[in-house]
Amino acid sequence: MNKPLLTLTGVAKRFDEVEALTHVDLDINSGQVIGLVGGNGAGKTTLLRLMAGVMEPTMGTILFEGKKVSTMRSKLGVVPESTGLYSRLTAWENIRYHSRMYGVPDDIAWNRVSHFANRLDLTDALSRHTKGFSRGMRQKTALLRALAHGPDILLLDEPTAGLDVTSARTVRSLVGKLRDEGGTVIYSTHHLAEAQQVCDRIVIVHNGTIRADGSPTQLLEQTGKDNLEDAYVALTSDKARARKEDNKKEGKMSKWWRRLLTGRTPNNQEVSEDE
Amino acid sequence: MSNSWRFISTIAKKEIIEFVRDWRTLLALIVIPLLIFPALFIALPLLLQSEAAELDALDLEVVWQGQINDELQLAFNESNLLFTYEEMPTGIENLSDIGDDDERLRLQEVSAIFRLTEDGNASSWKFSILFLSTSEASNEARNRILNAITIWESGVVNGTIVEAGLDPETTLDPVTWDGDINETDAATKGEQAGLVLSLFIPMVIAIWTASSAIQPSIDMTAGERERGTLEALLCLPCTRMQLLAGKWLAVATITSTGVALQIGGLLFAISYLASSSVIGVPSISIASAILLLGAVVIFAIMVVAFELALAMKAHSVKEAGSLLGPAVLFIIFPALFTQVLNLDSIEEWWFAIPLVNILLAMRELLLDRVITEHVVIWVATSVIYAGLAAWFAARQFNREDLVASIS
Repeated sequence: MNKPLLTLTGVAKRFDEVEALTHVDLDINSGQVIGLVGGNGAGKTTLLRLMAGVMEPTMGTILFEGKKVSTMRSKLGVVPESTGLYSRLTAWENIRYHSRMYGVPDDIAWNRVSHFANRLDLTDALSRHTKGFSRGMRQKTALLRALAHGPDILLLDEPTAGLDVTSARTVRSLVGKLRDEGGTVIYSTHHLAEAQQVCDRIVIVHNGTIRADGSPTQLLEQTGKDNLEDAYVALTSDKARARKEDNKKEGKMSKWWRRLLTGRTPNNQEVSEDE
Repeated sequence: MSNSWRFISTIAKKEIIEFVRDWRTLLALIVIPLLIFPALFIALPLLLQSEAAELDALDLEVVWQGQINDELQLAFNESNLLFTYEEMPTGIENLSDIGDDDERLRLQEVSAIFRLTEDGNASSWKFSILFLSTSEASNEARNRILNAITIWESGVVNGTIVEAGLDPETTLDPVTWDGDINETDAATKGEQAGLVLSLFIPMVIAIWTASSAIQPSIDMTAGERERGTLEALLCLPCTRMQLLAGKWLAVATITSTGVALQIGGLLFAISYLASSSVIGVPSISIASAILLLGAVVIFAIMVVAFELALAMKAHSVKEAGSLLGPAVLFIIFPALFTQVLNLDSIEEWWFAIPLVNILLAMRELLLDRVITEHVVIWVATSVIYAGLAAWFAARQFNREDLVASIS
């Protein structure tokens, strides 16, 4: 069996008092599309950010081909949920900025981008400022940007969130084609049906732990359920934890100021952000 | 090209391109700095001159109450005052008692009222001018009357002195300055110009650097965070220090362009004024010029790093604005205080105080004073402060919560 591209061993991530991820072990092999499935606050984005080398784990190691992932970021292509496009630059300028940072000559980046832009039906929009782009166009541009330097692994954080049916389908179709061409994609989503449609392997993340990891058939076998939705519910039956932002304690000064200036509810109760 | 420089220059280039594509930014950071001093030093005096000329040409109506004096009337020739003669009003305690005359002055029916009475022995006169201080025409009328009275009084005094058999010149001005007073200053025109410039150039540089760095600093940090572009940027294969350096280079370039244009505009205005001999062009040595440039660069490193760090600390553009606005006062106040410090007897420890040291250094250098002890202290301490500011900024850029949220 081939050596995994990305290896996560005993990875944990803590933010102050919140354990965002606990003991994550994962091997990402080349040529797979892996779906990270979980609800809001499950830890999918944190896991992706750790894999992208943007954050360091509190415990454990994340290695890309045996080396620390934060030193191997040039091998990764990342599309964060927010897409991260600059509105005063054209789509091509956005892509070129990133590809130059990866040390890719403009002509090579252009050839790669043209190839994928055709598939995404975005060729005509490459010379336009991204300011007026729809969510779908922004997502497609971010995808092109992540592909321009020819990454070994593509990390996509909820790439179809907020997209119309056609755009979501185009994105899924591109991911499918990348898989067919031997590419490796890690795809975060909270839509089980989408994961089932696109991914070879599904990793269910819940409350910062990995509840299941396998092909859709393996998940059904593991839970003894007839469909993936029931399997998901069975695996994530414990109550979802609050997100870090929801648990954030209010500072003393801020509390005093709020009490001074914030009104009360009609039944004369103090308005509190702790509630 | 090393990887590090490739990252830094690519980031800086992109930031600058993106920044200048906003026409409002160009207006605020390029056009306004370029025009502000020419407008202040050239257009404003021209406007004031034309306003003064307009006022000079005005015919003003004045009421003359009391006695008429022929010699004084002669002094009023060419004063463009149109007199109406009236009797002295009754019931006033003295000539300054405005009595019932305030109404027509307030309604500006007349520009001024001139009262004159001869003393009993005909050797002296008493007068007053009633006017409306809030009216320019009334002030102008008062000044014209006072000028005429001064001419008339001088004639009266000279006549009395001559009648007494004395020489008016030696009697009235027995102690006189010999020669041209302007030739007695050992400082050259260039040095004098340096003194004048040292009173405001450091302040202009300090205030403009601090204020013009705010917008790009916020846009490139908290703005990126708010627009969601920061995470994609942090995924790039560069270190956060390289990212910071690229952004610093962009903000410093934008800010220094603004400051350079403002100084260019200032020098243009000065050269215009120099032709009218109001102010000269400063003469400073090459060493002073190099040190001055160094001081500006160190100041920019410090201020831009400090503002980038503060802006990065903020979670939103609004929060960054609330932080940076008051923070700029910490730069403006030292700039103002530094202007009043006496450089001749200044203690050396002043050159170790953050911000004050650089501003004092700029003042000294504009006076072409290169004092080794001072230079060593301000260069050493400023490099330390600039390093601390850069370290603080680097810490902010290395914070993990720049992108943290569990989802």
